Amino acid sequence: MASFLLTINGRRERVEAERGTPLLWVLRDHLQLTGTKYGCGVGACGACTVHENGAAVRSCQIPVDNAAGKNYTTIEGLSADASHPCQQAWIAEDVAQCGFCQPGMIMETAALLREKPKVSLEEIESTMSQHVCRCGTYNRMRRAILRAAHEGSRS
Amino acid sequence: MSATRRRFLHASTVAGTGLLLGFSLPELRADDSAVFEPDAYIRIAPDNTITLWVIRSEMGQGVRTNLPAALADELEVDIEKVRVEQAMPGGRFAGIRLRTSGSGSSSGTFMHLREAGATAREMLIAAGAASWSVEAATCKAQLGAVIHMPTNRQRSYGSLASSAARLPVPPRPRLKSPSEFRYIGKPALRQDRAAIVSGKSQYGLDIQRPGMVHAVVARCPYLGGKASHFETASPLAVPGVRSLVPVNTGIATGVAVVADTTWAAMKGRDALRVEWDAGPNRTFNSDDYIRQLYLAADQKGYPIRNDGDAAQALTQSPRRIDAVYRYSFQAHAPMEVMNCTADYHDGECEIWAPTQTPETAAREVADLLKISPEKVRVHVTLLGGGFGRRLFSDFVHEAAEISKAIGKPVQVTWPRSDDLRYGYFQPASVEHLAGAVDSDGKALAYWQKSISSDLSMFGRNNPPEDPNHYANDGSPWGSCDNPYNFPHLKADYIPIDCPVPTGPWRAVEYPATVFARESFVDEMALLGGKDPIQFRIDLLQPGNTTSFGGDPLDRSRMIRVLEVAREKTGWGTPLPGMAGRKVGRGLAINVYHGDSYIAEVAEVSLAPDGSDFWVHKIHCVVDCGLVINPTGLEGQVESGITWGLSAALRGRIDFKDGAAVQTGFHDFHVLRMNEMPAIETHVVPTDFPPGGFGEHPVPPVAPAVANAIFAATGKRLRNLPFTWV
Repeated sequence: MASFLLTINGRRERVEAERGTPLLWVLRDHLQLTGTKYGCGVGACGACTVHENGAAVRSCQIPVDNAAGKNYTTIEGLSADASHPCQQAWIAEDVAQCGFCQPGMIMETAALLREKPKVSLEEIESTMSQHVCRCGTYNRMRRAILRAAHEGSRS
Repeated sequence: MSATRRRFLHASTVAGTGLLLGFSLPELRADDSAVFEPDAYIRIAPDNTITLWVIRSEMGQGVRTNLPAALADELEVDIEKVRVEQAMPGGRFAGIRLRTSGSGSSSGTFMHLREAGATAREMLIAAGAASWSVEAATCKAQLGAVIHMPTNRQRSYGSLASSAARLPVPPRPRLKSPSEFRYIGKPALRQDRAAIVSGKSQYGLDIQRPGMVHAVVARCPYLGGKASHFETASPLAVPGVRSLVPVNTGIATGVAVVADTTWAAMKGRDALRVEWDAGPNRTFNSDDYIRQLYLAADQKGYPIRNDGDAAQALTQSPRRIDAVYRYSFQAHAPMEVMNCTADYHDGECEIWAPTQTPETAAREVADLLKISPEKVRVHVTLLGGGFGRRLFSDFVHEAAEISKAIGKPVQVTWPRSDDLRYGYFQPASVEHLAGAVDSDGKALAYWQKSISSDLSMFGRNNPPEDPNHYANDGSPWGSCDNPYNFPHLKADYIPIDCPVPTGPWRAVEYPATVFARESFVDEMALLGGKDPIQFRIDLLQPGNTTSFGGDPLDRSRMIRVLEVAREKTGWGTPLPGMAGRKVGRGLAINVYHGDSYIAEVAEVSLAPDGSDFWVHKIHCVVDCGLVINPTGLEGQVESGITWGLSAALRGRIDFKDGAAVQTGFHDFHVLRMNEMPAIETHVVPTDFPPGGFGEHPVPPVAPAVANAIFAATGKRLRNLPFTWV
């Protein structure tokens, strides 16, 4: 067991974990931040997406050893009250069905729009196609992303 | 509680949910009389809170949005004030169906909730009128209050709750007319929308209990095999691993690795070496099995339908075609893997599970642990997708077994590879079809032979003795309830045993039979030189009402849907050219148990050399009766079409040497955003009762796409998933 000092959602967290433990399981089992989801464990579905220094990453692929010194944001830290433009766009377009994959989708979108406020449809599709939604909410998700981008460009 | 009320409760019936019959509330005690509980599902408290216990599992189909709308409308309360609780088996819900299946969670409970809401509304009005000593007819209900209209005096529902609870129950409360609806039929956003986009919704995997440990099971890789020996030193040397527990329940037995965290349990499983007793299926290969299905066509099967004399008509007809269609094994692969949290202590067991069938889970856990059913409490969490997989309780059994063995609360998580390799799969099948048209090109005869394993969930090892077993059961869906009025129609079912566990998948038996039927009806239309829509409309004449396999069928509703499809989808007009690509349109229909009627039109394009194809758009035309939530309905259309297209283009599970081959989303490919077609929904408004819709859009997708590819190229695809290039 080793001790790691992590920065999650702006808070410093001391975690006792085995070396090599993926950040996903540190978030879920050690810190009880269960909004970040386990979907496949091999980086193929995107359900575990969080922000690392603002960029979208798959938390199942990041050993906790490599996480020290970086700033992480999870879905719980995106906003205190579902007020982030992506969350609001998701609500307005009624995207979620079972909802399980959605935190990962929203985190991916938030990072994408921060990097590219005038994102193209092609960029949306190539980024979001790294994610899986079994309920098939893709078309509404595309609309929500365009809405969030539009709202962002007005503000 | 008055005798009148008990009679009302006993008389509460809901079409399609017979298990709701005959329930009653426990006698109200004196200290309960402060709240008004006109029904097992509803509570109106003095502080004005309205609680609705939802008796179905939320898995994305919108039950926690639609049922509050039905209640709030008739009760006359603000929908945002209705607090939703999840019903639990036993107690006040003993004997009430909590199972979520058959696309009936909204349609099956809708009328009951409306009646319950209207009953409560009238009793509250009566209580308000009595408090002012005025006639009830001079009072009305409006958004949680009773108003005396001449004087505009108001009392809140909460202040009237306890007096309303003592009044007689009106035998026939007045239901609102559709023009009075405030919520029903209007687009509604889900009530848990803020939680769901904030990661605060609690799925099974998110359950945390004090002292809880985690487990992952090393499962026998061979269908029906078991562990014969395992060594303990290596896994126990993994930091965080606590113990190893043999698992004998569930669908794939083996050895559980119990640890402090999920990751430690997974690492422990990696380190664990097990000697497996492979059992009888060590050499099972799905390719061989499917070959066996092809060869079984001459076996005597079970008669399903026999209208006229199809065999003779086919023999005598000069214009006859034959075709064989194939459908692969499929996995459910919901985004949330199978999991369950169980806490056994002192002869009691508490379960937290994303399950579609809590009452069965409770009963089976009680049997397994040899405790009485009231000692088992099952909490239904949100489901990260169900699709039929969570109608089974195998993942609940093993959690209960492990918790009992270790004496601690435990959360059992299936890694994604387990979720794909072990389950109750959609069965593979082969459909043999023969058809004939007369000299005018009109349909004459049709014979569909369906060959597959019966769903193993029925636990049948030997073929049933009764030759009419399947026909009486209305099976196979899609063949038994074939909606067309062929002059000669024959349908047979040939079950071929298979060691692969199989169970309901989205739309159950329809996808395979409807793929074959709707593709072949197009083949027959071509043979007769007819337009596929007109050919179908002719086949649905005289537009009568009948029934098959216990399901009603109103052919006029299907004809109307086809006419709307012809009108709204540009049918018969050229598709815009796309840089020299070949383009085509294809249609398929289905009637799901007589309550929803659907047609889909797919638009595809192909490279000039045929090296690829693309599905650009799918129109869905639907008559599903009264639409409770239009936004929700469109969501289910999009969801079902994505599911159907995913299966048609990519979905297959293969078995080699007794084990499933695919282990993740890298080799079990599902549709992603860049492959999504545009989807357009056209609702045919009718005033029939609401029909189900969660599964309905799935079956027509594959045949509509196959028919569109044929229209573009003349090439007929008869195997699913479509193999291309």
